[in-house]
Amino acid sequence: MIAKWIGKRVIMGTIVLIIVSFLSFFLMHAAPGNPAAAYYGGNAQTLSTAEKERIETAFGLDQPILYQYGVWLREAMQGNLGYSAKEGRPVATIIQERLPNTLQLVVGTLGIVAIASTWLGLQAGMKEGSLLDRGLSFVSIASSAIPPFWLGILFIMVFSVQLGWFPSSGMKDVRGDGGLVDRLYHMVLPLSVLVLAHVGVFARFLQENVKAEKHRYYVEVARANGVPERAIRKMILRNAIIPYINYVGVTIPSFFGGSIVVETLFGWSGLGQLLVKAVMVKDFPVLMGAILITGVVVVICLFVIDVLMICLNPRLRRGGIV
Amino acid sequence: MRKEQKMLIFWLVILGLLVGFTLFSSWLVPFEPNAMDMNHIYEAPNGTHLLGTDQLGRDVLSRLLVGGRVTLFIATLSVVLSSIIGIIYGGISGYFGGAIDAVMMRILEAFLTIPSLVIVLALQAIMQGSVWRMAMIMGCTGWFVTARIVRSEFIRLKELEFIHMAKMFRTPLWKILFRHLLRNSLPAIFVVTIFNFAGAIFTEVSLSFLGIGVPPSIPSWGTMLYTAQNDLLVGAWWMGLFPGMFIFVTILCVQAIGSRFKQRGGQTHV
Amino acid sequence: MFKIEHVTVRINEKFILNDLSFTVPKGQITVMIGESGSGKSTMLSAILGMLPAQATVEGSIFFNGRNIVELAKQDQSVLRQRHFFTIFQDAANSFSPTQKMKQQLYGLTALRMGQTKAVFLAKMKHIVQDLHLPADVLERYPFELSGGMLQRCMLACALYLAPAVLLADEPTSSLDMLHQQEFIQQLKRLHTRLETTVLLITHDLDVAASIADFILVMKNGEIVERGQVTEIFEQPKHPYTRQLVAHHF
Repeated sequence: MIAKWIGKRVIMGTIVLIIVSFLSFFLMHAAPGNPAAAYYGGNAQTLSTAEKERIETAFGLDQPILYQYGVWLREAMQGNLGYSAKEGRPVATIIQERLPNTLQLVVGTLGIVAIASTWLGLQAGMKEGSLLDRGLSFVSIASSAIPPFWLGILFIMVFSVQLGWFPSSGMKDVRGDGGLVDRLYHMVLPLSVLVLAHVGVFARFLQENVKAEKHRYYVEVARANGVPERAIRKMILRNAIIPYINYVGVTIPSFFGGSIVVETLFGWSGLGQLLVKAVMVKDFPVLMGAILITGVVVVICLFVIDVLMICLNPRLRRGGIV
Repeated sequence: MRKEQKMLIFWLVILGLLVGFTLFSSWLVPFEPNAMDMNHIYEAPNGTHLLGTDQLGRDVLSRLLVGGRVTLFIATLSVVLSSIIGIIYGGISGYFGGAIDAVMMRILEAFLTIPSLVIVLALQAIMQGSVWRMAMIMGCTGWFVTARIVRSEFIRLKELEFIHMAKMFRTPLWKILFRHLLRNSLPAIFVVTIFNFAGAIFTEVSLSFLGIGVPPSIPSWGTMLYTAQNDLLVGAWWMGLFPGMFIFVTILCVQAIGSRFKQRGGQTHV
Repeated sequence: MFKIEHVTVRINEKFILNDLSFTVPKGQITVMIGESGSGKSTMLSAILGMLPAQATVEGSIFFNGRNIVELAKQDQSVLRQRHFFTIFQDAANSFSPTQKMKQQLYGLTALRMGQTKAVFLAKMKHIVQDLHLPADVLERYPFELSGGMLQRCMLACALYLAPAVLLADEPTSSLDMLHQQEFIQQLKRLHTRLETTVLLITHDLDVAASIADFILVMKNGEIVERGQVTEIFEQPKHPYTRQLVAHHF
């Protein structure tokens, strides 16, 4: 059972990567001018004729397109993602600089959202009809209708322009040392926007699960037999969390989508901002690289979620006799 | 049930008003949306300019109403396109089943895994430009959920008695597909289309806000927020507040209406 | 042990139990029989103080001189924790699917007595062996055990706790014939060893015949007949009981 499940997930991850790489490769060909030129960007002009020929044969430009894709893929796997058309630096280096920033933001958001929504969802779900229960339903509906960037704009209006508490953009102070405190200080607004955009919906999902789980047979059995309330809560959470984790997995792509907008708004130099800039200035090599890496990161995140699922769900781990 | 009915009507009225105002904005707007008035730049909301003016002295309310037309037009067009693609893809997958279905579904799942904004961005890079192209791109990337719903509806329906009967009587394939399967899937498709519409508004404003959607010269709710980023720093809060309010209320209406229909659909099925 | 006096339960103005009075004598096995919908499970819920919120109760249920009906929710819970253990019908769903039996049995037994896990493990190991459960049962998940094994795990809890009262709601109806008999045998053994008061609810006359000291026959929320096993089976008085017994043989 577990082998089949893992197999399915691996196939799925592979397909995702193939599609992302196709998309990337397709971009290179759809880009105006010679693909090799697109690949080497601004440096293409400086190449000599001999070098150009070498590139053309190396990329197999006289070969069928599938072969070209293969060659490109091999290069990409070896870490050669080409050179930025605007900066002239290797795309791999640029991405290496950007990726940690995005990961900090996304992982930070995920962490806070996971903790906050678990707590909120459990509290609200256990106390049916309470203020928190009804309030959470309302907040989650409202928050899913607010575009995160508008929330960001409102935050900048209030906390940066009016109150002057937090910087409206950037990752470190001009005079700052770029240390952890400085970084966190700059992270407050983008992080809060991303957290607020997601936490309501996540908490609501768990809340519904907890409510459903609360009426299950085993809870009644436990309660009738005087199992302490703390232990019952633990049981309920333990079961309600499984579909919740699955839901987190499903929504992870939208986290990266959301971070694109929020990074741009707050001048957070991550992968998302890089993507948007690359589209604006038509820096195809960077665009291709950023898309490919985003795909890889999402697949890795989903893999982590899968591992978590296996840990949390004994049925996946052991398979049942019945 | 009475209360639910009332809420539905409430949301429909609000949405109707919003759509009505934007549709007939050309006749309704108090000012020509692109008329500049350098004597009245960055005016806070007042009696003449209800929602203030922008950096070129243009009336924000007028631009919002006209901009809403652009946003809603793109959203509508893209949803129509995505529904068509979704119905065809999901229909084929669901009707034929077996290996075709398995392969098509794996591919669909993979598409759902890639952040859709990333795909849109990529396409936007090679064919950026007009409002029409924008709608096309969004249509081509927004059909995944529709396809999945159509597939499951087709699978559910094709096992029912009357489809077997129709097959036995050698009803032509197109008739089975359109008359029976598609027609009976319409309620479910309707619900997912409503939610897609909300999603499309979201995508349009996000892209335009990033400066890579609708060209900034055309007013849309997204582009207005794009320019508002600079206006905020000089304290023109109304530039940021009102477009967002319009977006928020519109999406809230659409989602509320969608969930009402979803609940109702659930009741008739059970 | 229990003295039930004029208990009437209504749910949404509908009578579920109508003026019920009976006693459950200490140290004996009392069996309630009746078809589903006769109100026997509602009676159990009333004793446990776990009726649904929309139910109204009249009359009194005395346990050791205290009226359960008038106790606060909190005190009812304490009472259950101290003195009762209940085995329910659906063995397969009686346990949370994501926790090992070890943890769940610990929650059902030692935790409510305030004992440590080490004490629990030492004692439970013997009980598990005694009930012929697999040696590694504590390390398994519920879905890795059969219904019969799960129901015996509930018995294991009862053996561990040695409660004043053991309540059982159709404990055998989700089991096959073989496991039914096995369960009844084990239950009998438990009863002789602990001298626990047992109130068992069933629709199965075989079960009732093989274990009961005293039988209550229920129909439409009322007790239509009561008596020793021999009286009920050999000289049934009420037409409904006659019908039941006639169908049985």
